[in-house]
Amino acid sequence: MSAIVFESVHRQFERDGKSFPALDNVTLTVADKEFVALVGPSGCGKTTCLRMAAGFEAPSSGRVLVGGVPVTGPGPDRAVVFQQFALFPWKSVEDNIAFGLRNRKVPADERRERIAGAIRLMGLEGYETAFPHQLSGGMQQRVAIARAYVLDPQALLMDEPFGALDAQTRVVMQEELVRLARVNPRTVLFITHAVEEAVYLADRVAIMTRRPGRIKEVIDVRSIRAAEAWDRHERVEDVMDLESFVHLRTHIWRSLREEKVGGER
Amino acid sequence: MRPSRRFFVGITTIAALFAVWAVLTMVTGTVSTGRFPSPLQFWESARQVLTVGYADATLFAHALHSLKLVVMGFLVAIAAGIPLGLLMGWSRRAEAFVNPVFLLIRPIPPLAWIPLAILWLGLGDAAKIMVIFFAAFVPSVINTFTGVRMIEPHIIEAARMLGTGRRRMVREVLVPAASPMIFTGLRLSLQASWTTLVAAELVGALAGLGRVLNVAQQDIYPAMVMVGMAAVGVLGWATTRLLAMIEARAMPWLPARA
Ligand SMILES: Nc1ncnc2c1ncn2[C@@H]1O[C@H](COP(=O)(O)OP(=O)(O)OP(=O)(O)O)[C@@H](O)[C@H]1O
Ligand SMILES: [Mg+2]
Repeated sequence: MSAIVFESVHRQFERDGKSFPALDNVTLTVADKEFVALVGPSGCGKTTCLRMAAGFEAPSSGRVLVGGVPVTGPGPDRAVVFQQFALFPWKSVEDNIAFGLRNRKVPADERRERIAGAIRLMGLEGYETAFPHQLSGGMQQRVAIARAYVLDPQALLMDEPFGALDAQTRVVMQEELVRLARVNPRTVLFITHAVEEAVYLADRVAIMTRRPGRIKEVIDVRSIRAAEAWDRHERVEDVMDLESFVHLRTHIWRSLREEKVGGER
Repeated sequence: MRPSRRFFVGITTIAALFAVWAVLTMVTGTVSTGRFPSPLQFWESARQVLTVGYADATLFAHALHSLKLVVMGFLVAIAAGIPLGLLMGWSRRAEAFVNPVFLLIRPIPPLAWIPLAILWLGLGDAAKIMVIFFAAFVPSVINTFTGVRMIEPHIIEAARMLGTGRRRMVREVLVPAASPMIFTGLRLSLQASWTTLVAAELVGALAGLGRVLNVAQQDIYPAMVMVGMAAVGVLGWATTRLLAMIEARAMPWLPARA
């Protein structure tokens, strides 16, 4: 069990000696093996939520639980894909991906196999020995995803993981993520600015208000996906053409737009 | 500029300086050779100290003696300085403990330690190593410390998320991440080592390039003073080059600098 639970989470930050609320009473549950996408205006506190689940940050009040246990610090059971990649510049692609497995003392044979698998999955073949600075932004992002994926973690915390990808690669990665979620479901908290991506990937989409962030609305995509049989379609663009998809997307768009109009910046 | 062209320009500049030097001292006599030796006198003195020797030993022996002290003092200083810098950078508590001592010691110029070193340890090698230690220690600690503090927080968070233990955190994350700054510290430490060694040998030494300079000054022998200076320059340059080569090999991940 690895449900992620936010219970009345508040978070204050300080800037210029003044304290301001970044999160205001966030309550949200990502059930075990559920994929929840978090969308909201820039600066509303999405990353802050994810950092609390990762254990980098503590709530000012309220609780964050993973698998029923309050989070006290980071660990490889909750793999993070950072918005800024956070690769180790002094390690090759291969060694970056291997780092977590070596910490866990995974035997060399198994390690090699899993790394090769992750490299294939992310389309990084031929770049095993390259250093991060020799890769494009999109490729660096794929290394960061591979580094998290290879751990086979209970929970995946992904902060705009496809943000730096070109449209084509992005679609490939989205399809891949959906395929993976079917064969090997994981608890995923996934932050994105792309509404279509959220609807395509997630079981549920949580919409946040502008700062101080609250959960404004949670949309159940799963029941509609099942009812309208989205899974019949292999390709992203076919799913995105479906009337039920467009309907959901437009609904979320409107909801987000209300937050931006007259929003403080 | 292309490297070959750069090299050519450098050689030309030096050759021109040499020519001016030769003309001013030997042809026009504008500069008195009693104060500033001619290239010929310089060459004669160099030959003397290389073959017969000067101040009780050949140039080679003097140079080796100085080099040995610099290397030893430098190595001891960085062997203590880098770990301390890492510790202070990683732990605010360690910093709180050590920093006051640093604030006290740092404003004292390294050369000011020379009298104390001589009183405690005499004119031999131990005193020189002590002085070099104090001079080289400070830059290696401070730059290592700064290097650790400048590491992107996300990099450390990524390592913690991946379940990195203490040993690997130090060896595979902190040290490589801070290594550009650590090497800056090493360069400064090496420079400081040479500066303080020569100064300490000038004050009093039984052998070494500083002693060559000192004896030549007492003998009123400017050509030999210049040979000593040139030898210090060459050795300083060679050790700095060696360090730069190690630096380039130690950090293959950095984009090549033009
Ligand atoms: N360590 C911090 N100190 C002070 N303020 C912070 C800190 N971290 C975040 N904030 C503030 O909290 C708010 C929420 O930040 P957060 O990074 O969670 O936003 P976000 O929703 O992820 O935005 P984006 O979509 O642009 O990535 C912002 O106003 C930000 O300035
Ligand atoms: Mg963010």
